Amino acid sequence: MSTPLQQISVVSEARPNVIAELIEALAASEINIETLDSQTFGGTVVAILTVDCYDDALRALAVAGFPAVGEDALLVRVDDRPGALATLARRFHQANIPLHSVRIVRRAEGWGVVALSTPRTEEALALVRDELIA
Amino acid sequence: MSVIEERTGGLCERDRRRLDDLYDRLRRERELFIGYPCTACFDYTPLLRFLAFPSNNVGDPFTESNYHLNTHEFERDVLHEFMDLTAAPRDASWGYITNGGTEGNLYGMFLARELLPDGIVYYSEDTHYSVNKILRCLHIRNIMIKSRPDGSIDLDDLRETLRIHRDVPPIVFANIGTTMKGAIDDLEGIGEILSDLAIARHYIHADAALHGMILPWVDRPQPWNFAAGIDSIAISGHKFIGTPFPCGVVLARKGHVERIARSIDYIGSLDTTLSGSRSGIAAVFLWYALRTVGRAGFRERTGHCLEVADHAIDRLDAIGRTPWRHENSPIVVFDRPPPSITTKWQIAVHGQIAHVITMPHVTCAHVDRLVADLAAAKLAEARA
Repeated sequence: MSTPLQQISVVSEARPNVIAELIEALAASEINIETLDSQTFGGTVVAILTVDCYDDALRALAVAGFPAVGEDALLVRVDDRPGALATLARRFHQANIPLHSVRIVRRAEGWGVVALSTPRTEEALALVRDELIA
Repeated sequence: MSVIEERTGGLCERDRRRLDDLYDRLRRERELFIGYPCTACFDYTPLLRFLAFPSNNVGDPFTESNYHLNTHEFERDVLHEFMDLTAAPRDASWGYITNGGTEGNLYGMFLARELLPDGIVYYSEDTHYSVNKILRCLHIRNIMIKSRPDGSIDLDDLRETLRIHRDVPPIVFANIGTTMKGAIDDLEGIGEILSDLAIARHYIHADAALHGMILPWVDRPQPWNFAAGIDSIAISGHKFIGTPFPCGVVLARKGHVERIARSIDYIGSLDTTLSGSRSGIAAVFLWYALRTVGRAGFRERTGHCLEVADHAIDRLDAIGRTPWRHENSPIVVFDRPPPSITTKWQIAVHGQIAHVITMPHVTCAHVDRLVADLAAAKLAEARA
């Protein structure tokens, strides 16, 4: 039975060849990339991958210095201003969706990428659809 | 290769050579050890005879234990000294010797969660990565707060975040010296925010792993200890004091600890520590260091570290690496050098910056050698 593909998001500085470096890091650990999408905003690039060896990929990315977020977290984009995260957290509170952690993954050029974790992913996805990256 | 062999007795020639190689490697690397906050100059030779005992400080250091091969008496002396250094009243404070800063931070967060089970932890972007692990282990809700460019917590972001969640008791994880930049979170500012927002129920833990043994010895310390309103603090023993193994101290307000105390029949001790078995030798080593270095010695040591840090800033500035440091911190931040330099000198990097930490064993000569390597690397890069 094949293992279901699992998604990883990598948040990095938008520099030349960063996607190539990421692919090389995974290839060096013999990890197959099944799909890869990327989007760039401000000075940040977010690459969304599906891979065949999820844990090995997370390890390889960490060793190569790429901040990776597993599929148990939602990635959203927020303005880089005081209280922006708090406002986001408040929306969850008002929607009665428990939010376990709110972590800034990267900030650059007026934008922040934030990882959220909640036990009610489907409802959370609907709530932050406008700001959702992955 | 299996480590456990069929035969018994001493080491074979190959094993002895392997140990010799390890010793040589460690001795060599110590000469290039300027990127991490650990002191590499100490001499515990007079204490080697204590390695002959299976000492264990299991349980509460302030309670009698059935395990008599303990060093609780020395542990209490060390803790009392740290209480004095952190402005923690001896009769209203409690603590124990941990296996390092992370256990101290884990203890602080554990205590906070037990006292405020519905609380949310607030911590800055520049907080040590191990805090994420701790929060996950303890399953505490948490929100990361932005950092200022200098590495300290952004008080505007904290204020706005607390304003929105003022119905939930905050647990503030404050950095007294961040790992990368040596930034000290503004405890007075945090206190003002809590007061302005009329948040009475709160908890502040201070992670003072390195700077907790520096700030007691400077003329103008930033607010950092129990006098500044904290509830608990973690300080490392192997960092500024220096020990051949990781260790540390955690202190907390006694009233908080008593509220979560549990009696453990097995060891006959009222135990609120996290670890079961705890190092007995660490207590003796720390006691010895405090007694032999002394207050004058720590003051002198701190002065040396900050002087070498200033020398590093002068020299790195002269070759255009834009160095800087916080007041009272031996962490000198500068532009990230090439991998050949970071590998050789064991320099930690983050994004576009790197740092050297002028610990007591680091001299101006070390700095000059690093700067010469940096200049040579720049020249080689220009020629390539």
